[in-house]
Amino acid sequence: MALEDTRRLGCGRSIDQIWAGMDQPPTSHEEDCELCQAAKARMQKIKEATVALRESDLHNPEMTLPAERTNSIMALARAEARRSKRLVLRGTEYGTVEISEQALSSLIRLAAAAIPGIHSRRCRIEVQSDAEMGSTHLTINLRVATASGIDIPATVEGLRQKINKAIPAGVGIDAGTVNITVEDLYDV
Amino acid sequence: MNDSNPACDADTDEGSIVARAQDGDLAAFEHLVHTYQDRLFRLAYRMLNDRTDAEDVVQETLTASWRALPMLSDVKAFGGWIYRLATNKCLDLLRKRSARAETITDPAEIHSTLDDGATRAPLEADPVASAEWAAQQDGLTTVLNTLPAVQRACWLLREIHGRSYAEIGVTLKINPTTVRGTLARARRRIAEGMSQWR
Repeated sequence: MALEDTRRLGCGRSIDQIWAGMDQPPTSHEEDCELCQAAKARMQKIKEATVALRESDLHNPEMTLPAERTNSIMALARAEARRSKRLVLRGTEYGTVEISEQALSSLIRLAAAAIPGIHSRRCRIEVQSDAEMGSTHLTINLRVATASGIDIPATVEGLRQKINKAIPAGVGIDAGTVNITVEDLYDV
Repeated sequence: MNDSNPACDADTDEGSIVARAQDGDLAAFEHLVHTYQDRLFRLAYRMLNDRTDAEDVVQETLTASWRALPMLSDVKAFGGWIYRLATNKCLDLLRKRSARAETITDPAEIHSTLDDGATRAPLEADPVASAEWAAQQDGLTTVLNTLPAVQRACWLLREIHGRSYAEIGVTLKINPTTVRGTLARARRRIAEGMSQWR
């Protein structure tokens, strides 16, 4: 048997062509061609059974993953949660205040969620602490996807300002350097 | 789930959710699990005809995806990638089964397997139409079970799950033209099988 399906009807149409057109009304050729009509009728049953199977599986409550399996997946994910690095926000005589990169990312994402047309993506944060000066400088590298119709520079500037406000409000230090990369348009 | 977590926003595009899950965001990962778990289960069940095996495959696939997510370079490729992981786990399991010569070949046994699971006539339907519907369903699922595993995977991915020829080709490590040929052979066998069944 040939690797490709080269079967053709006597009229020259291939079975593949007919299968591809099963959902469409008959072409002018098919209206007059008994061979095509017969082939279509033969395949109609397969098409109907396939659609019926797809729909019944889709709506059958038995054809779903049981909740305990979902719980196991999530429990394992939590147990193996990727430990993000900790950033020292402040040193005091009573001890230090640290925040995980992940928690700080959530704060940044929350700020980004308030800006229409922006979806935050990956976020990397670095911190340079100067113990002598007692200062902490953050570098935030945030990647985002934007809507296609928006004014990207203005929107991204709005996002930067939002982050610049959210970080001091949340953790009491300046946002420092905020690098934003638009890596994708999410609606195209 | 945490309401304040923007990962769960229904409007967020999948690429962004994948990117957040790559950063270790559990809520984003949970969103992906909920999006894909039932689709993958339907695929695995039709591949394997065994509920427990299908559940195992889905659980292993999604667990493996959590571990491997940071390596995924294109966030938009997540759907194809997760289908690929699941399909190949099914094919591996079928290879192991056939190595143990435990494939079910007795039609009666195939039928009893199916009765556990999935084929139900729609309620409130015309009795004649629904009897015909059930016969077609049984015919199709029975014939699907007799197809070689790769043909079955091809058929399910294309006709039930609507995946692209290119993606199926990558999944099965064959070129898209061969995907078309494999689908055509599956279609012929289904046509033959269904006409015998009825």
